[in-house]
Amino acid sequence: MHLTSRADSSLSLVSSSQGTNFAEAMALRSISRRFGSRVLSYRSSSVASLHSHATSFGFQQVKEEEKRKLVGNVFSNVASSYDIMNDVMSGGLHRLWKERLVGKLSPFAGMKHLDVAGGTGDVAFRIFDAVNSVKRRALRKVDEDSLEETQIYVCDINPNMLNVGKQRAAERGLGDNKSLVWVEGDAEALSFDDNSMDGYTIAFGIRNVTHIEKALAEAYRVLKRGGRFLCLELSHVDIPVFKDVYDLYSFKVIPNLGELIAGDRESYQYLVESIRRFPPQEKFATMIADAGFEKVEYENLVGGVVAIHSAIKL
Amino acid sequence: MYRTAAKRFLGVGFTTSRLLRLPKPRPNPTIITPYSHASALCTSSIGHTESPIGNQSVNPNQSDPTAASSSTAREEGPRRDESSRKKPRAEFEEEQARVLAASLRHVPRLGWTEEAMIAGSREVGVSPSIVGSFSRKEAALVEYFMDECLQLLIDRVDSGLDLQNLIPSERVSKLVRIRLEMQIPYMSKWPQALSIQAHPVNVPTSFKQRAMLVDEIWHTVGDGASDLDWYVKRTVLGGVYSTTEIYMLTDDSPEYRDTWAFLDDRVKDAFDLKKSIQEAKYFAQDIGAGVGKSFQGLMNGVMQTMSRRGGSSAF
Repeated sequence: MHLTSRADSSLSLVSSSQGTNFAEAMALRSISRRFGSRVLSYRSSSVASLHSHATSFGFQQVKEEEKRKLVGNVFSNVASSYDIMNDVMSGGLHRLWKERLVGKLSPFAGMKHLDVAGGTGDVAFRIFDAVNSVKRRALRKVDEDSLEETQIYVCDINPNMLNVGKQRAAERGLGDNKSLVWVEGDAEALSFDDNSMDGYTIAFGIRNVTHIEKALAEAYRVLKRGGRFLCLELSHVDIPVFKDVYDLYSFKVIPNLGELIAGDRESYQYLVESIRRFPPQEKFATMIADAGFEKVEYENLVGGVVAIHSAIKL
Repeated sequence: MYRTAAKRFLGVGFTTSRLLRLPKPRPNPTIITPYSHASALCTSSIGHTESPIGNQSVNPNQSDPTAASSSTAREEGPRRDESSRKKPRAEFEEEQARVLAASLRHVPRLGWTEEAMIAGSREVGVSPSIVGSFSRKEAALVEYFMDECLQLLIDRVDSGLDLQNLIPSERVSKLVRIRLEMQIPYMSKWPQALSIQAHPVNVPTSFKQRAMLVDEIWHTVGDGASDLDWYVKRTVLGGVYSTTEIYMLTDDSPEYRDTWAFLDDRVKDAFDLKKSIQEAKYFAQDIGAGVGKSFQGLMNGVMQTMSRRGGSSAF
């Protein structure tokens, strides 16, 4: 209790001066100092020993209410340099991964699509482009039904990320386009109707959700019958030598890059830790199936660094 | 995928068993669901027995070696109960079959494309996103159609097609004709289907489907051979079928009369070829006999020498 009230006060300091690197770093550093001594002992305990109201924030154990705020702070902080950092960390590969995700989705004209945690709009723009090129090609064979408008909803819990996305849309000349709708919302409590979406994607976002099962249940709720769920996420590598190389890269290189480029080591430390805490491919696939989805499959890219899970609601 | 559903219910040997000529297993009844749609598309629909549309019910109207069908029906019951965990998978395959069946109606207008499948899925009441999950999308539609036609052919044959009074070459002609007539409604878009089948990714499946078709035709005609001849027969018939199919693409004659004439000629050639191969074989044997005798003599001499030597060393 004592700890959380102290953390609260430092966070309130942060929220008033929103977006400043120094304040975020201060907040995170103060939290990590308090939890730091416990990190070692927590690290050794497995997820099974988690009691019901604590969750993981990277390798730290935090109260559930805290995780939301902490994640919020991380992304407020990284929003402006999110895209650059993605390029640097993945060597540009993240673009290919997103292309593959959208390829798997096979967007069609007249589709109602929801991209969750897609703040800066990477996936949404790709879907938009795919639909419009398809539309142009199929124009001579247009079905009466498909003349309904395509709607791509981009939902993100963090307004800063959404603002970056809106900016990028304006740069592309899509600022006023009715097809792209930017919505602020929580993956665990979506504001959309039941059975209203043809597709649901979440790219590099589900790791940050406090209750993954809730997010999956919401995804199931909003999808129509026949609708597809696609999740692109950093996942577990099992290949012997490559695993060690990847671990080395994650824990040594990425936080340093974060410090250099975004001026924020802690956020990127959180990032690599949260990847390790996320359930492995098979376990996640089971969770998706438990939410009611069918034909649950996953595809590993780059040996498991990234995995695309796909499923259908029937 | 609809075949894998059948495989699961009837055991692994479903497709391979066809080639090995085991008693014909009945396919999964859920495949029959779009049966009535498919039969409406087929121009030669004489003698078809209508099947009730029911997802999990066995079709009693199928005329078939009754022992085989009732035993598999009984087996399917308990097997379905214990494999309830696998039901979701079967549900997806049912949905896929339904969507593909509905899509076939749009093919003459939209071609073998995603648009046709999207239109089909809209008809069935499912989100068109499901099309994105079909592996090799357009190929899924074409392969579904090929399987449906094969099934229709089998059903035509089972429901009493009269082949008794015909000589083998005429039987083959008749069966190939029946099968090709099923493609008539799609003739305008058939070249597209052929190009999809020829795509390297799709070749394994399309090859297998054609092999099954050719095997079925030969089996119906009454061929029981299982020696090297088996492969020759199927290859030759495969060639006849393919060339006739391609000829049909550019045939303008009323009711494809020219195609059937072409087909009859090719089948006759094939049977003549068979006779000529037989004659060539006998000829070769006769010659070989002469050469072989002298070779035999040589071998005998060698064996005797060795046994004599072996015998003497024993002492």
